[in-house]
Amino acid sequence: MSERFAAASGRRVVSRTSAEELGKLAHVVVDIKRRQVASLVVGKGRKAALIDWDQVSGFGPDAVMIADEGALYSPRDDLERDAADGKLELVGKRVLSDKGNELGTLTDVAFDPETGAIETIVVGAGEAPADSLLGAGSFAVVVRSPAG
Amino acid sequence: MSLLVAGSAIRGLPVVTIGGGEDVAEVRDLIYSPEAGRLVGLTLNKRGFLAGRRREVLPAETIHAIGRDAVMVDDEASLIMPEDSPAELAAPPEGRDVTGNEVLTEAGASLGRVRDVVVLVGSVGEVVGYEIETASGGTGYIPLPAQLAVSGSALVVPESTREFVEDDLVGLGAAVDEFRSRLGMK
Repeated sequence: MSERFAAASGRRVVSRTSAEELGKLAHVVVDIKRRQVASLVVGKGRKAALIDWDQVSGFGPDAVMIADEGALYSPRDDLERDAADGKLELVGKRVLSDKGNELGTLTDVAFDPETGAIETIVVGAGEAPADSLLGAGSFAVVVRSPAG
Repeated sequence: MSLLVAGSAIRGLPVVTIGGGEDVAEVRDLIYSPEAGRLVGLTLNKRGFLAGRRREVLPAETIHAIGRDAVMVDDEASLIMPEDSPAELAAPPEGRDVTGNEVLTEAGASLGRVRDVVVLVGSVGEVVGYEIETASGGTGYIPLPAQLAVSGSALVVPESTREFVEDDLVGLGAAVDEFRSRLGMK
């Protein structure tokens, strides 16, 4: 079973120890080099907090369970601030091939909820495997050019 | 995939890093060698409206690809200071801009005046043709041999070029291959 960013957005984030809802899942932050979910952003605006992927104990269909409320942290540097503000969000970014051609808008990302490994990215009506991901920034997501 | 693009379509394209996904500059102009039919590099502007010129240049060798929508580089280190770049890019010899030059065949017929260069993009950026304004005021495209004689005011092309004047870029693509094979190149 794989999960998708678009479907998971807004899901409850619940502490396993206190059973309390800590907020809604706002963004998923991806480590492009490792093609892996790095952290989750919980809540929006000034209250946005991050949690590292290894502190997520269960990414379920109805709730994202985390080990403990104490694992949530406020952004500590500019990069984490950008992540919390959603500036690193892949969904909605323009997608460029490494040949310099625009392929469309990134609409979704499929990942393994057990490991956090990115499986495919969805660009318009097409899909590209995770290993075609080359880079991502404020301007674009860059993927290896489809053959041909 | 390779495609033919007029120089005017490359000016203004964003320069994007592959690893970072950032638009670090945009294309100001193309510097190319008319004799060798080769793109030497690009000069750059900063990104954004009225942002002004960037001193750095982008040598053709460090360009990963020129596409329809962007010029791709590995990272921002591909942009180098003019003093560190080849002389023909840092200080192109005068009279290299062939825009406005008359195109003459070896037999002395004028085909028109050069309006822009046509670059084969997708990889290295080879200059393969010129967009010309024909005597009747229309637009034509001529394929180039790999090398030709260029002066400050005119360029001389083989007589057979006349048969290969195309009125669109799609036609030019096929014409370049046929024209060059006729001349015994590649």
